[in-house]
Amino acid sequence: MAPTDSGSSTSTASNLFTIGAERLALLGKHHKALMQGYLDGFIDETAFSEGALKKLIAARILWRPDEQQALALRPLVSELIASMVADENRRQINADVAEKLEQIRNRVQAYRDAQYKGDYSVAELQLQRLTEHVHDLSGQFEEAIDSLWHRLNSDFGFVASLDDKIRENERAQKQLRRLLDGLVLLDFSELIELAEGNNHLRKLLVSQLQNQLSSHHSSLLEVQKRLVELLAKFRQQQARSMLITNMAAFLRQHPKYQPADYPNRSELPQLFNQAAAIKPQAAIALDKASERQILAELVRALPRHKAVQLSDTPAASFGQQWQDEAIAARQQALKTDVENFYLRVIDHGGKLSALEYLAQQQLEWDSEIWLYQIIAEYQALPQEEKQMFAIIRDEAPASSMNQLLLIRDISLGLKAA
Amino acid sequence: MLQHGPLLERLLAGDFICQVSDEDGFRRLSIEQTQQEINHYLRPLNRRLVANDDNSVFFLGYHELTKEAREQLSSQFALTVQSLLPLLEWLQLVQETMGRDSALTAGDTIKLQEFILRTEDNQSLRQRLNQLAGDRFFNSQSEQLDNQIKLIFRRLKEHGYLLQPHHDRQYYIVTGKIDYLIDVIRFIRDEEHLPVDDTPTQEALI
Repeated sequence: MAPTDSGSSTSTASNLFTIGAERLALLGKHHKALMQGYLDGFIDETAFSEGALKKLIAARILWRPDEQQALALRPLVSELIASMVADENRRQINADVAEKLEQIRNRVQAYRDAQYKGDYSVAELQLQRLTEHVHDLSGQFEEAIDSLWHRLNSDFGFVASLDDKIRENERAQKQLRRLLDGLVLLDFSELIELAEGNNHLRKLLVSQLQNQLSSHHSSLLEVQKRLVELLAKFRQQQARSMLITNMAAFLRQHPKYQPADYPNRSELPQLFNQAAAIKPQAAIALDKASERQILAELVRALPRHKAVQLSDTPAASFGQQWQDEAIAARQQALKTDVENFYLRVIDHGGKLSALEYLAQQQLEWDSEIWLYQIIAEYQALPQEEKQMFAIIRDEAPASSMNQLLLIRDISLGLKAA
Repeated sequence: MLQHGPLLERLLAGDFICQVSDEDGFRRLSIEQTQQEINHYLRPLNRRLVANDDNSVFFLGYHELTKEAREQLSSQFALTVQSLLPLLEWLQLVQETMGRDSALTAGDTIKLQEFILRTEDNQSLRQRLNQLAGDRFFNSQSEQLDNQIKLIFRRLKEHGYLLQPHHDRQYYIVTGKIDYLIDVIRFIRDEEHLPVDDTPTQEALI
């Protein structure tokens, strides 16, 4: 009996091995398209051949949730990927302890029965399965705790907005409470009873499991504390953002708004007690003989100003330049007045005396300079324009002895064309 | 007292001491014994240590509220009130420009270049910044976005809201004085029963 039994179980096992290995290979073979399907939420059927799709469906990797819907990854496969890449948006937390506990109880019973019957190979197998269940139970908590820490340490960075972070934090806290409730279900006196009189069981169910679960329990409490703190921080940030937005809006709507006169209240609010600054100033003191040495060194260390050599030339040229500018300005003014005189002659038509014009316009020019400028202007005219003007000098000899003619006045008129 | 020399100097100069602006000084100011020592020392100067609501920032206030002290406090208060809106608008602008999901808090870093780049590309941000720079609190005369932003940051640094760890590198850290600003706003809001909410409504939570 026993050999056949073990034979059939080996053949089942080898059968399982073949199918499992084949199907795992399928995951590897289509890894890119499947991962894309994970990200998109559905499978792009054109990326697969007809045969490949059939195989993937048969392997329970893909399924069609609904007639009208596209193929998608089965939830367990999605979950596997989420756990592998720690994708906290999709990662599932399994807080179901009761089911696992039931399985453990059954396995213990089956193990004890087999031992009682003296069927050691079956007992061995049952113990193996029992060990797996115990590890699963512990692993379930470990996975959940890992996911919670991961979310915590990333400040829930996998969602974008603060509101989402607050919601995610609250969801994590609910999961955490379910996990803690699950831990409560594990009654150690019951486990001790189950392990009664068997060293293997005692080691597995009592010392090992108890150790692991108590460490999970303290981890969970730590995570809970941190989650509550983080939620408080999120809420504080949210409150701050809202305060800023709403206060700014209020002040914009009420540009004349003036708060009460807090600084002059008898009970001054602490916040507004902001004193004027006092800047401590210090100067060199010579009253301590011991410091003279240091001061002397400081003075010596001062960068010495090089006496600037002011040669006479630049100073003179500076003055020259300034004078030139003043003279140039006066020169220009004189020129402009003379031009106006010429324009008046053109407008007037008749003869105009230069000195009369000077007096009439109350110009401040010296009469001699005035006449020189008018002659200079006349000389500077182009030949054709010169011919348009008749310039008549009012001349007289310097004295009866001197035949030098002095110009007394100039009359300017337009020559009849 | 000797070991507190530089810290006292900063406090007397009107600086706000927080975890960011002076970590060591802040740690010392958080000890009650040091607070007492410093208060004792400051007594003849008519100064004392003041902290904001949650003790995250320290500064100096008057010990005795003389007439002169009240006058100084009044003008200081007027300045604070005047600066509220420009500072709030700046906080909003940074939050939106940098795509942050929460308001700036002490310890946050802002890279000037990144801020400029993000503002440049967005006409409405540019316009808001232009308006803000012209506010008399910042008082920018420039038409150039680049200069406006630099001036805004420089002013905020002068007022102690920002810290520039390296003089030649254009990045800034928000100091605890922002916490003080928020406390002031909250105080005024509560005291004057302004219709300014800071808790989300029930619908927003669901």
